[in-house]
Amino acid sequence: MVRWISDEVGEEAALLEALGLASADELFRDVPKKARLGRLGVGAPRSEAEVVAEVDKLLERNRPLGRFASFLGGRISARYSPAAVDAIVSRSEFYTAYTPYQPEASQGMLRALFEFQSLWVELSGMDVANASLYDGASAAGEALLFARRLHEGRRFLVPASLPWEERSVLANYASGPGLVVEEIPFDDRTGRLDLEFVRSAVRQGDVFGVLADVPNGFGGLDEQLFELKPTIGDVPLVVVADPLALSVLEPPGSYGADVVVGEGQGFGVAPSFGGPLLGLFACRREHMRLAPGRIVGATVDAYGRPAYTLTLQTREQHIRRSKATSNICTNESLLALAFVVYASVVGPKGLASLQASLAEKARTLASGLGAVEGLRAPRFEAPYLGEFAVELGRGTAAAFLDRLRRRRVLGGHPLADPRPGATHGPERLLVAPSESVGEREIARYVAAAKAWAASGGGR
Amino acid sequence: MSGYRQARWDEPPIWDLAHAHAPEPAPAIPGVPDRFRRHEGLRWPELSEPTVVRHYTRLSQMNFGIDSGIYPLGSCTMKYNPKVSELLARRPGAAQVHPYQPEATVQGSLEITWKLERLLAKVTGFPEVSLQPAAGAHGEYTSLLMVRAYYRDRGELERRTEVLLPDTAHGTNPASASMAGFVTREITSKDGCVDLAALKAALSERTACFMLTNPNTAGLFESEILEIAEAVHGAGAMLYYDGANLNAILGVTNPGRMGFDVAHLNLHKTFATPHGGGGPGAGVLGAGEALAPYLPVPRVAKSGRRFRLEYDRPRSIGKVKTAYGNFGLDLRAYAFILAHGEEGLRHIARRAVLNSNYLAARLGRRLPRPFRPLVKHEFVLSGTPLKAKGVRTLDLAKRLLDEGVHAPTVYFPTLVEEALMIETPETESKRELDEFAAAVERALDDSPEHLHAAPTSCAVGRIDEVRAAREPVLSWKDLRAGTRADSAKVETP
Repeated sequence: MVRWISDEVGEEAALLEALGLASADELFRDVPKKARLGRLGVGAPRSEAEVVAEVDKLLERNRPLGRFASFLGGRISARYSPAAVDAIVSRSEFYTAYTPYQPEASQGMLRALFEFQSLWVELSGMDVANASLYDGASAAGEALLFARRLHEGRRFLVPASLPWEERSVLANYASGPGLVVEEIPFDDRTGRLDLEFVRSAVRQGDVFGVLADVPNGFGGLDEQLFELKPTIGDVPLVVVADPLALSVLEPPGSYGADVVVGEGQGFGVAPSFGGPLLGLFACRREHMRLAPGRIVGATVDAYGRPAYTLTLQTREQHIRRSKATSNICTNESLLALAFVVYASVVGPKGLASLQASLAEKARTLASGLGAVEGLRAPRFEAPYLGEFAVELGRGTAAAFLDRLRRRRVLGGHPLADPRPGATHGPERLLVAPSESVGEREIARYVAAAKAWAASGGGR
Repeated sequence: MSGYRQARWDEPPIWDLAHAHAPEPAPAIPGVPDRFRRHEGLRWPELSEPTVVRHYTRLSQMNFGIDSGIYPLGSCTMKYNPKVSELLARRPGAAQVHPYQPEATVQGSLEITWKLERLLAKVTGFPEVSLQPAAGAHGEYTSLLMVRAYYRDRGELERRTEVLLPDTAHGTNPASASMAGFVTREITSKDGCVDLAALKAALSERTACFMLTNPNTAGLFESEILEIAEAVHGAGAMLYYDGANLNAILGVTNPGRMGFDVAHLNLHKTFATPHGGGGPGAGVLGAGEALAPYLPVPRVAKSGRRFRLEYDRPRSIGKVKTAYGNFGLDLRAYAFILAHGEEGLRHIARRAVLNSNYLAARLGRRLPRPFRPLVKHEFVLSGTPLKAKGVRTLDLAKRLLDEGVHAPTVYFPTLVEEALMIETPETESKRELDEFAAAVERALDDSPEHLHAAPTSCAVGRIDEVRAAREPVLSWKDLRAGTRADSAKVETP
């Protein structure tokens, strides 16, 4: 029997005796017979050693990133995390705690979350950050609903280049209140947003928010970002930003963002096949009472000493119920802790030099791939940091990636929406050299791409 | 008194650990126009690793977790988090896997996902399970979007605009329903359970869904569940199961058997994945025949011996999160189920309910229990008798912190005045239950002065939450702007 259920000698008998029961089964007499179950069919218990063996056997069927030169990116990255980060998040006082409903007993997590909020405020250039949301995509969804609280209208504009997963999540968040997500076209040469489209959509009216991402879905930095707020006036501007990029880029608060969201997994959290992730959210001070999610505030205790607590709770579901700004209860506190520990161990200079080094790797790779026949790399003429889009002149992205994989290169991920019936544009990939690749791995990628080209590129 | 003392470090915020220095401008990146460059640089301290580690270690010592002591938060199912799960989730084969790797290189992750879905299908009694939602409330919300899509396809969405729920519902239920575009109506409970007559009167052709947790937040099993299901279905509406309280009924009954159409489970409750001080969670969904086609994509499918991500689900609502589920937690839950097996899962429910009834009987001698005595995983007490000596439930909760235990959930469910909601899962021994009961009894017998002054053994004393909300200080930026919490006069207790 598992050791985790308390089973100390004689205790169950003592509990039953105190209740005057012969068996614990009597405690279920209020469950109707017709609703009772037979066997579940989940198998026999296993010892801890057997569980480890079984799970390890299954995990052997994975080929983790360490076996490849990885160029996988998008919103999720596999960066090296200093061992100190895991040492802190492995402290059970942190990881086995619940939401800090009793702040006096939970000052440690509350203070870490206050530092996390402070860091996202600094990175984003905004005033107020919450204590995290589920992931970058759902944070964008919350930003959509938040923007609707700031401004009337039914239409929310997003770049057509936004990753399809985020567009799908946004469409879901929009669907409840009957809102519509519309795509802003981009310039085919540069990938830049069509500002004229935005201007005329806003002029037509009914637009309650405009979203832009930095870097955008093609890895590009779009100068139109700086023109968006002047173009849309009091319509809220939502910016989806990468936290590492913000270590070197102007914060969105400086060019008029009303809300800045992003994916924070890359700071100290392993990719773990896509979860858990970390949603970042920040807004301006005048809108803080409309923000979603938990927020930690500083105050004092009965003796006037600094103390921290969850605050502005009248926005939240456990108090406001159907009128809450969001249904958020669980968030991603432990990942928020990892985020702030990572940034503090690496430091601002370390973050900027990591971003600079990733950008250099991307440039080296782009110049190598740019010379390969049948590839357009980078696809768009725009500045970029650590990732860029590649377009195949022939064959499929899947076939190209498959070919690279045989040379132990994970060459990026296809940008197309894989759902049948989705509009399928040109075959494009997003390519992002990971922190662990060097000149040799980049050369291996280029050589594999050349071999693909020489073989006719899947023709 | 227990002699408990939490660490009380005078630890400054992390930015005060470094010498004050102006942020340096970010380096120029070749190819990136100067206009994009962060000219002021990032304002954050440059610190040595030992300084950072010591800082957060000290903070951890001012935090109470399930490994520190009993954590009887009602409806939160704070049980021991097996250490082996932490070990497994950190294996490179689990952690160092990118969701966009080709399927052939992630067969292990896909197989674990598939197997966990099959196991949870058995536990919930539903044909299909999706691990995509990131938390319980996210699962509720996703389910309601599915309900919405279902009625849209049937041409009934325009008239089915209401979601009904009992007044004992978790706050996330009405909040999720509103976000999904429904109007909510609360049904007043009778003796802590759904009033079937009131429900029947409220059900109509406008009802899209009735949301229920069973056992409910009063800790009571809704014995009329089959009649409730019949009434809801009779009105052409869907029945939603909030799985926050599933721990009590593992292997005894399940949402499918009770007649529910869709359910969410919290892996961080019933299946012991650590809650991380507020998250991560995982909000698995189970769906019956009607709603299964609407589950988020991708689904994990098995073809022969290979596993793949299936996107060909034309009626799916699409995505609610990037990538798939919270795999790191799914893996822990999978290990938890393997270890327990059939016998263990059934034992969980028996022991959790036994613990709860034992503690309820003992504490029920001191404080009123508003409902019938037989409870499931949790029970509710009312702190109203304390009012006679000028003490509130809040004071009792704070006083309990001085005993080296966590306080129960307080002031919920709202239908009980001065409520205390207590849940002590199967991992708590009789000795822990007795010590907790003794702590409550000592607190009840303590003087009003002590109760009002509590806590005195935590890192800080009673916190001024009103001030936090009235004059919000939410970041370092606010502190730099000279808000008052920074410069508060410090008095020694």
